[in-house]
Amino acid sequence: MPDKRENIRIGVFICHCGSNIAGYLDVEELEAFAKTLPNVAFVVRNLYTCSEGGINEIKNAIDEQNLNRVVVASCTPRTHEPLFRSSCAEAGLNPYLFEMVNIRDQCSWVHMREREKGTSKAKDLIRMGVAKAALLEPQEPIISEVHAARALVIGGGIAGMTASIALGDRGYEVVLVEKEERLGGMLNRLNMLGPTMTDAGDMVKEKIETITDHPNITVFTRATVTDVDGFIGNYEVDIETKSGNEKVDIGVIIVATGGRLFVPEGLYGYDGRRVITQLEVEEVLGRGLDPAVKNIVMIQCVGSRNEERPYCARICCQTAVKNAILITEQNPDAKVSILYRDMQMYGVENEEMFRDSKVKGVRFIKYDPARPPRVEEGKVSVFHSLLGREMDLLADLVVLSTPVVPQEDADVTSKILTVPVDENGFFLEGHVKLRPLDFATDGVFLCGSARFPANIRETVAQGLGAASRASIPLSKGFVVVEPIISVLADEDACRGCGLCVALCPYSALEVRDTEKGRKVHVIDVSCKGCGVCAATCYQHALSINSFTDQQINAQIAAFLN
Amino acid sequence: MCTGRLDPAIVAGAFRQGLDGLLTVGCYFGDCHYITGNVQAKAKIDITRKVLKHAGLNEERLAFRQCSSGEASVFVDLVSQFDEKIHSLGPLGGAGDRVKAPEIFKKLETAEAALTSEKIRWVIGKRTPFLETGNIYGEIFTEHEFNRAVEMIIVEETQVQEILGGLKEGARSVKDLAKRLDIPPERVFRYITALQRKNLVALQGVNGRSPVFQLTA
Repeated sequence: MPDKRENIRIGVFICHCGSNIAGYLDVEELEAFAKTLPNVAFVVRNLYTCSEGGINEIKNAIDEQNLNRVVVASCTPRTHEPLFRSSCAEAGLNPYLFEMVNIRDQCSWVHMREREKGTSKAKDLIRMGVAKAALLEPQEPIISEVHAARALVIGGGIAGMTASIALGDRGYEVVLVEKEERLGGMLNRLNMLGPTMTDAGDMVKEKIETITDHPNITVFTRATVTDVDGFIGNYEVDIETKSGNEKVDIGVIIVATGGRLFVPEGLYGYDGRRVITQLEVEEVLGRGLDPAVKNIVMIQCVGSRNEERPYCARICCQTAVKNAILITEQNPDAKVSILYRDMQMYGVENEEMFRDSKVKGVRFIKYDPARPPRVEEGKVSVFHSLLGREMDLLADLVVLSTPVVPQEDADVTSKILTVPVDENGFFLEGHVKLRPLDFATDGVFLCGSARFPANIRETVAQGLGAASRASIPLSKGFVVVEPIISVLADEDACRGCGLCVALCPYSALEVRDTEKGRKVHVIDVSCKGCGVCAATCYQHALSINSFTDQQINAQIAAFLN
Repeated sequence: MCTGRLDPAIVAGAFRQGLDGLLTVGCYFGDCHYITGNVQAKAKIDITRKVLKHAGLNEERLAFRQCSSGEASVFVDLVSQFDEKIHSLGPLGGAGDRVKAPEIFKKLETAEAALTSEKIRWVIGKRTPFLETGNIYGEIFTEHEFNRAVEMIIVEETQVQEILGGLKEGARSVKDLAKRLDIPPERVFRYITALQRKNLVALQGVNGRSPVFQLTA
């Protein structure tokens, strides 16, 4: 805690940003104004505060003017806060005694034609920043050790196997948990993998051999994860195996539980013999297609892109086209028709495969979901929506392209790990673009069809990516967390009611029994500082470092003043 | 830091200090950097708006809108429209509001206390689970049912806070409080009994035949 009696001395640095700020706001007026604010001991304007000259000016002023708070009024904290913070630290001032005021992105740039109003708004912003700065408290970064440099991989399909091998090769211990008797997952049931027509059987065999011989990988098959306790670097995991229960210390977790194929019970006369799924046709092709099967009709989007399952599962089109090609190769006089709604053939190789299938005589017929095809004995009737007429297609075999759907136990996994699933039931990554292989919760990663239907190539890429992401905390051996997080500022006030615990999006809060009764505890490495808990606590027991109620209220008061 | 950090009591406090309008712009649902912070923010703002409206403030002074950081023109429109709206309403406690200044500032003080209170905070926190996964009995509420319950709680909690506010000025009898605050005496009595149970209010003595209550120290 800072000494409450300390004399607050704030330095305000007003940046011209060349002409980005000075060209549109009256910076001289801002300087004169800043000098009138309470606790301000020093004000200076810089052409570029972020230049070496500007940075030196901050450092010198901290020393010579005895500053204990620094306010920079300039561009945006998004790009420059880290720089100014570290400049303060270099001059011996705790970096969290720094406050940034955004007078460029949110002021001079949006009020380029309103010099007076813009200047007046900049004054408000500076007054608010200075008011908050006076109440800032020093913070120390939070460092948490990774106690177990060991990864848990849940799911032994191609995603989980790839991630396990990648981590094992890097020298980390891996515990791979697979619920089936055999590793390989869906890959065990596939025939040839498009677009390169790689033998799935060879691939799975090779992966299983690598894993079985790997000194760093421990495999539990017919096993499930039943409980996960702890946080990044410090998990305690319970695994139920066929030969008893195991308890392992784990540092990071990769969710590679995959998906399963939707079984179209009751749709298009599905019977598993004459009307089968793409997965079943893979097995048929693996054994060799009966030469008597001449007419094959495939129906796309069976059980997907409807009200119940609104998403496009993406990989069924390429699977259908690939299997159509394999069928024509096995039975050169076979006629394959693909009834589709829209063809999803992304990527250069898939496009090529698509063209190739047309050369090989595969017929594509667009149907209208409002008038779906009808499967009858020996034929399929369909309304050709481009030609605008009904047509009958002979069919010795009907293949239904059904979507990959989430695993039935995805919700159980989601609860055990406290990670979210999306509206379709697939696991939800931390950020679509910025953290595609991480969960929002640190220490837990995801890859493969557990996230969304992915083909083998994508799954392998994601497995490698997730392993790479997961290896960061393992190799560093510690985790550093920004201290702008929730803290139990007033332990006596906390009643341990748990309202905040239920609302925390990161499971960073828990109620613990203490000498003073039930109290909330912040797991600081898990907290992201969103502030939901502090804004919820009716006892005001929780606070957010650098965004306390007092600091926010001081800003509001300064604004309304 | 997220819109979910927005504390309803801080919002009410800002209006009490003379704020004329507050526009909260959060990310789209599903797009929140903090997963569900914006959902919490909307729940907080929606109920805060109801409490402030009950206090006599024009509800349009507090808005929750959504926009992504890539949608500059959407943001400009949101801000411009809101700015126009607030200008048309004029300063707080004027023609635009049901309760006028300076009375409204007194009411906002009560609203601020109500928004700090345990009960309303629980209601805000439980909004999403009640509407989506249900209460501990598995009962899921419709938005309509939930809002009706909220309206009732707001009326009650505001009255409770008015009573506590009244007692802050000194010990009073139920009859006296009922008259001053324009709340039926039987309700005042009910609240006082509940507050006694919570150890917030205690019997000070008896004046004639009326018991007189005071805040516990």
